[in-house]
Amino acid sequence: MGDRVNTGVEGLDAMLKGGFLPARPYVVSGPTGSGKTILAMHFLLEGLRQGEPCLLVTMDEPPSEIKANMAVLGWSLGRLKILDATPDVRAHKRVRSVIDVGTTMDVRDMEDVNGMRQPSQIHALEVSVHSVQKMIKQEFAQRLEQTSQRYKRIVIDSLTALKMFSMQGEDSRILIQSFMRFLAELEATSLIVAEHLRRDTIETEFFLSRGEIRLHKWLDGNVIRRALSIEKFRGSSFDDRICAMTIGNAGIVVFPNAQAAFRGTSSELRVGESFLESRIIEEVSNLLDSVLRQIDEAHRRQLPVKDIEVAVSRAMVHFQRRHYQKALKAALACDAQIKQRMGELPPPPPPASLPKPPGVGG
Amino acid sequence: MLHGGLIAGRPYIVSGPPGSGKTILAMQFLREGLEGGEHCLFVALEEPPNEVKVNMRAFRWNLDDLEILDANSDIRRFEPTPILEISTETEPIKMRELEERIRKTPDFESHEVTVHSLQQLLKKLFLRRKYHRVVIDSVTALKYFCMREFEETVTMQSFMRFLTEAGVTSILSLELPDSGEAPSEAFLARGEIRLHKLRDESGIKRFISVEKYKGSSHEEFVFPFDITNAGVRVHVGATASPPSGL
Repeated sequence: MGDRVNTGVEGLDAMLKGGFLPARPYVVSGPTGSGKTILAMHFLLEGLRQGEPCLLVTMDEPPSEIKANMAVLGWSLGRLKILDATPDVRAHKRVRSVIDVGTTMDVRDMEDVNGMRQPSQIHALEVSVHSVQKMIKQEFAQRLEQTSQRYKRIVIDSLTALKMFSMQGEDSRILIQSFMRFLAELEATSLIVAEHLRRDTIETEFFLSRGEIRLHKWLDGNVIRRALSIEKFRGSSFDDRICAMTIGNAGIVVFPNAQAAFRGTSSELRVGESFLESRIIEEVSNLLDSVLRQIDEAHRRQLPVKDIEVAVSRAMVHFQRRHYQKALKAALACDAQIKQRMGELPPPPPPASLPKPPGVGG
Repeated sequence: MLHGGLIAGRPYIVSGPPGSGKTILAMQFLREGLEGGEHCLFVALEEPPNEVKVNMRAFRWNLDDLEILDANSDIRRFEPTPILEISTETEPIKMRELEERIRKTPDFESHEVTVHSLQQLLKKLFLRRKYHRVVIDSVTALKYFCMREFEETVTMQSFMRFLTEAGVTSILSLELPDSGEAPSEAFLARGEIRLHKLRDESGIKRFISVEKYKGSSHEEFVFPFDITNAGVRVHVGATASPPSGL
């Protein structure tokens, strides 16, 4: 295999078997506050450390805020090139003419970033995909001309902002496809920050990206727990577990060997949807497991259990489709049925904390 | 699981969430054909062919004779530029001749792929030579990016009809969302193989099921599978009992 592009996040490179494949676009996703931007900064910082030209395109936060946030971590991103694509305050008065950012903005070094850019009195800057694309392209060409270097790493923070503010309607899919194609043709390794807005549709950036790193955040009691997983990584094997992650003074650290504490010691679950879901998954799969073992046992005793087998497969289909509640109900029914048929409790008792069947008719 | 394989000459769907192994499964289907000396075509709508080539290298499959059609649209231009339909321009190339670098959008024109132009192109190719196996990766991309002025379901139906009439056995990959309903394309095909991706504390567990298969009996259970160096491997238990260790 060819070279890999390190992410600079401790633990993550090992999960990726060395890093990203070069010259491809990747996505980092997660809820707000899960550390996406920090992860992207790690990626850029690592590039700078290796002397690679790096570019940050920001659409969410103004560069001055990013600079302040990163100063807390003690990172100097002085040599980072930053492209400010945050739109101005929308002018509601009609006299101000709207100007595309593509025509006016230029790229600055991180160390030159001072305060907030003040909106001009006479015109407001608007951002469109087209203008962002144009800016990046210009910057690439200029860089190549002046220093004969190509940018090696690009971060787009974030595509969700671009999508929400600069695209409307049906065309957004095509615009994103075109934008991702544009990134791929630049032959730089790019990391796109994005949020999953909806779970029931397939969003373009996620299936077009060559890999997705997903960040998780949930409340365990009153502690925020964090974890990271790789959802997809084309052209390479990867560590497919959900791994615990912390954000500390040194930024993000991933612990590939200490898995996220899904079997938390405290059974007090208050919030955290993903956490709750993972508990249900665990319970259903344990239950199905034990039912299957009992079916095997029944076969050995030559009891007729065809109907239960069918019911189990139905439960498994629910499980596959992520209808965990339905799956749990069905699995509990199977469990009751087979126990009844075998006329006794099975030898290996299922895990300690199985929920009591609420009203299993059998 | 399929009790012998797919019925020749019909379109089938392989569906699953991103990262579930659809492309790999489709490639295996083509490789099987290549080994039998059949003509096979891979239509790439999601990834540039050069990346497909690099990705498949890890499996050490001999895909040299696979013909690959680059149906990725170029970067869209905002200035008026002549748009070339791929039906007049593009030709499939053999895997072994594929370059390592991505094709660049030319400066003064851009290729645009529409369902119509793709269909025309395929028709031309099918006339020229008989293809036995065709993979469209993916129809989601086709639907999202190439059907701007078309009614999606009707167009998809006519595309499948076209594949049937062409007499090729085809696999169309389809992206599924994390949750929610399956897209309507699934109803149109003659069969659907669904890949599932589930997480638990020890990592990703993969499962495969045959959701529908017209004109044949098939296994009803859901089977686990792995992606190994040899590609997708389904663990069909020695007995008919479903797998434990969920």
